[in-house]
Amino acid sequence: MKWQQVMAAAVAATMTLSLAACGGSGKSGSSGGDVTDVKYADIKLGEDYTDLKADLKMMTNRTDMLDEGYTGEKTWAQYLEEFNKEYPDIKVEIEGITDYSEDSLLRLQGGDWGDIMMIPEVDKSDLSTYFLSYGDVDSVSEQVKYPNRWLYDGEVYGLPITAVGRGIVYNKRVFSEAGITAAPKTPEEFIEALKKLKGKTQAPLYTNYAAGWTMGAWDDYTAVAATGDGTFRNQKLVHAKDPFSDPGDGTGAYNVYKILYDAVEQGLTEDDFSTTDWEGSKNMLNSGQIGCMVLGSWAYPQVKSAGDKGEDIGYMPFPMTIGGKQYSPADEDYCFGINVSSSADNQTAALVFVKWMTEKSGYSYNEGGLPLAVGDENYPEVYDEFLANNVEFVSNEPALEGEEDTLNELNADSELMVAANGNDKIQEIVEHASNKDKSFDDIMKEWNQKWSDAQEMDGVEVK
Amino acid sequence: MGVNTAVQTNKKTFGQWLRSRKGQQTVIIVAFIIIPLLLLFTFTYLPFAEMVKFGFYKMKYVGARKFVGLDNYRALFARKDIVSSLKLCLYYMAGALIQIAMALYLATILSMKVKASGLFKGLIFFPYLINGIAIGFIFKFFYTRGFVFDTVLQWCGFQLNNLPYWLKDQSINNWSLVGSSVWRYCGQQMVLFIGAIMSVDDTLYEAADLDGANKFQQFRYIILPSIKTIVTLNIILSITGSLSAFEAPFVITDGANGTGTFFVVMNTIAHTNQKVGLASAMAVFLLCIIFICTILQKLFFKFAFRNMNADDESRSAKKKRMKAAAAKGGR
Repeated sequence: MKWQQVMAAAVAATMTLSLAACGGSGKSGSSGGDVTDVKYADIKLGEDYTDLKADLKMMTNRTDMLDEGYTGEKTWAQYLEEFNKEYPDIKVEIEGITDYSEDSLLRLQGGDWGDIMMIPEVDKSDLSTYFLSYGDVDSVSEQVKYPNRWLYDGEVYGLPITAVGRGIVYNKRVFSEAGITAAPKTPEEFIEALKKLKGKTQAPLYTNYAAGWTMGAWDDYTAVAATGDGTFRNQKLVHAKDPFSDPGDGTGAYNVYKILYDAVEQGLTEDDFSTTDWEGSKNMLNSGQIGCMVLGSWAYPQVKSAGDKGEDIGYMPFPMTIGGKQYSPADEDYCFGINVSSSADNQTAALVFVKWMTEKSGYSYNEGGLPLAVGDENYPEVYDEFLANNVEFVSNEPALEGEEDTLNELNADSELMVAANGNDKIQEIVEHASNKDKSFDDIMKEWNQKWSDAQEMDGVEVK
Repeated sequence: MGVNTAVQTNKKTFGQWLRSRKGQQTVIIVAFIIIPLLLLFTFTYLPFAEMVKFGFYKMKYVGARKFVGLDNYRALFARKDIVSSLKLCLYYMAGALIQIAMALYLATILSMKVKASGLFKGLIFFPYLINGIAIGFIFKFFYTRGFVFDTVLQWCGFQLNNLPYWLKDQSINNWSLVGSSVWRYCGQQMVLFIGAIMSVDDTLYEAADLDGANKFQQFRYIILPSIKTIVTLNIILSITGSLSAFEAPFVITDGANGTGTFFVVMNTIAHTNQKVGLASAMAVFLLCIIFICTILQKLFFKFAFRNMNADDESRSAKKKRMKAAAAKGGR
């Protein structure tokens, strides 16, 4: 009996010790409670805090950039080296996490994660318990173009590491050989162009049906690109009456999905949609066996490097013109969040680092993203055709106060999941178009019905 | 007085009882049984009870829950996509029966004297060792237009234009998926059958040979009765397994294009649409169906094997012996 008690005590002691050790290692700089009163907008890069001493820890999803052999522009080590030229005493340790979206949530809840992280999917109302505010939206938006992603109560809690535009990846050589000189600007012109491509490539438009998420990507074009309105996705859609009906002027969600339906129905896509292969499609587009694919600008470098004909690849704006102008969404990537329970010095240093990454590092440019700082008009080459056509980049405005969760509810109750992994519904468009067993108008009517049922169920006012 | 002392000796203190042989026995038994029971309870019954409860709520993984009574169950039967997904089980059940017939056939042949039977066993069992996700990818390419399957058929003289699109054509794509799962599990069942057949006494075959029984008769009257328990078990397992078919449609076609089985639809509803209440109701409903199917099969096999209870003695022989015995007794 005695012996057992000794054992139990020993086990308990070891466990407590190891727990304490766990807690101790992470909170090196934490002195708890005191929050820096420095705001993002107040910091002048290169002038303020150049002699600040701090050891920061950052978590990133970009594990590939920790690797010496990273094929992109710069690795994390190179960015840090440049940063330390200006701020020699702020040391940043970067931890890469492979399964970021899940693991980061666990680490966030555990509380032991360092000073800077890419904000995972958390409820906006919880932001202030975890993250430091960069300041009110007015002061931040004077310096940063896209502060809306993690906006709550007028305070900005996250700043994007980069933002991407959305258009169509295509093979320039194949298009010009088919006699298409100007990029199509309306759905009709686009379908005409695909018709010209027919016979010249295996698939004028490759749907990537089987991968699923590539189909869901069509949803991303139904807001800004189809309406030119940054408030559509998060503010207007929830109150819209029949958002999937034809506005009659070749714009709107209806006409976005109709491009896909028409292309499949008229045989302008691959022969067998059920066995499409995403990894292989990059090379097929590179070599000209595919005419184009509807994907965000992140896909452009991947397609370019997927074969030896990289110079043939181009990126054009989505073929939809609203009042004589084309639009592209500017969608935020992961955003920097700063630990609210770090020490004040660490928070200030983290603010400096985030500001440097956003405005001075050139990260967004190097990774093919849109310029982030106000006044910075240095676009990477992927957007050449966007600039030539005067395409305006608009980011989605956040939901109105008190309606932050309404879109999620409607999405779940209608099961349409617009821009939230709603891949099935778009796969169904392809199936019905291919089997010719349901007209496009009937599909849209069904979706409108589901949407208004959900609005009724959740008591959402229809305007 | 005597009564009093007896009561006193019976009334040992708890500590004394604990140290007695009987007490120690009880403690050991309880201690040993409580751990597995506790694990079973916390990780099986408690979550299950929670799931049944979820079925009565309109809820997501996070956020407020609303009690809605039987609404989820009503929605379950009202929704065409759920009901039609249940029908797909019939494909997998048909596949399961074919698979068992094939496995039984191969097992019987391979347990007779065959050259290189070990090699064949290995080759046929091999697919079961491959990871299910990998099999999904293999079959995606296998069925792609103009790839493996079409090429092999073209060698056999088929024209590509006459061949269907194996995964695109909705009238055939479920059979394609069933084919992949039969390919995967056939070998495993075969090995189970071989194991059962090996337990049959060799002398029975010799005796049967002497009596002039051919191979089919040996199978019918020696092998099948001996392994009927394992056959029944395998049929029950594969029928209930086919009710919850998931891997093949999920990996190969993502449940799209009319191949979404009950499980795949349930997964979408729970994880994409976050309708946890409805998905829980579906899970409970599926469990009920599985119960019913299992009970029906049990009854069926009781009926089908009712004649096979008399070990290796045929019914007529038994009758004769009984008659003889009766005659003896009568004299």
